Amino acid sequence: MSEALLDEGIDNYAASERFTAAEKVALRYSELMSVNPDVVDAAFFDELRKHYSDNEIVELGAFIGFNLGYHTFFGTLKFYPLFSPDGRLVSQAESEKLYGTAPASLKKPEAAE
Amino acid sequence: MSRIAPLPLDAITDPELRALIAEGEVLGVPNDLFGRIVARAPEQAVPLMRALLMSHAQGNVDHKLKEIMRILLARFANDKYFASLRSNKARAMGLTETRIDEGCFAYEDDSKGFSEAEKCALRYADLMFLDAAQLDKAFYDRMKTYWSEAQIMELGAFIAFHYGMQMFMRSLGAKAAG
Repeated sequence: MSEALLDEGIDNYAASERFTAAEKVALRYSELMSVNPDVVDAAFFDELRKHYSDNEIVELGAFIGFNLGYHTFFGTLKFYPLFSPDGRLVSQAESEKLYGTAPASLKKPEAAE
Repeated sequence: MSRIAPLPLDAITDPELRALIAEGEVLGVPNDLFGRIVARAPEQAVPLMRALLMSHAQGNVDHKLKEIMRILLARFANDKYFASLRSNKARAMGLTETRIDEGCFAYEDDSKGFSEAEKCALRYADLMFLDAAQLDKAFYDRMKTYWSEAQIMELGAFIAFHYGMQMFMRSLGAKAAG
């Protein structure tokens, strides 16, 4: 798993040739539960079932729900990386100075490296 | 009842999961439907059930307040399953439907008698998924005037976890029977 593939899975999975139809519908489930849950209807589940068992859909759905909740919560806490780019354990105040207003993990790979 | 059929109880053989499902039935949240659905993902089922029950019924924040917050979140999530459930423990402690509605829709109205600490906690739940940008340093500083950092983490984790499971159950179109 590369950062480039990660970004493509977030920003361009629907049009990408690097993801299977099963992966695309799982990524769409993840996206829709957060931004447009009304679209997650019976027809969408029929599409999910073409690729996943009911057990796998439960695994995916619970995973997505958990992450949806906690990423929003953690986002409000404004965590900064615990380590500096050279591997030192740093305080949150020092980390904020090092990484600026946006944590490196939220930047594109080119900017983070 | 749900787009994903729950497992029959007698098909769930893990004694720990069965005990947690029974615990949920006693509390009333979640009822057996949630446990029988997540039982389809056995590696996740026990920790999910345990976290749901512990975050709601244990800890150092008033259970009645957390029950109001949970229902506020379920209504916002438009999750018919969790919104329809009620904690028997909170009910036994005196929480009424009228108080729940006041907590969901009018908690900032001084005439409703919520303390400043309760208002702040309800606002925390209200804003988390409506406008998280408002949960800034100033908001957390205000929270700290009423709640310890441990209580704030307890509340934040409670809000995040319950809302996440509510969105999951909404995606299944789940409804409690009856």
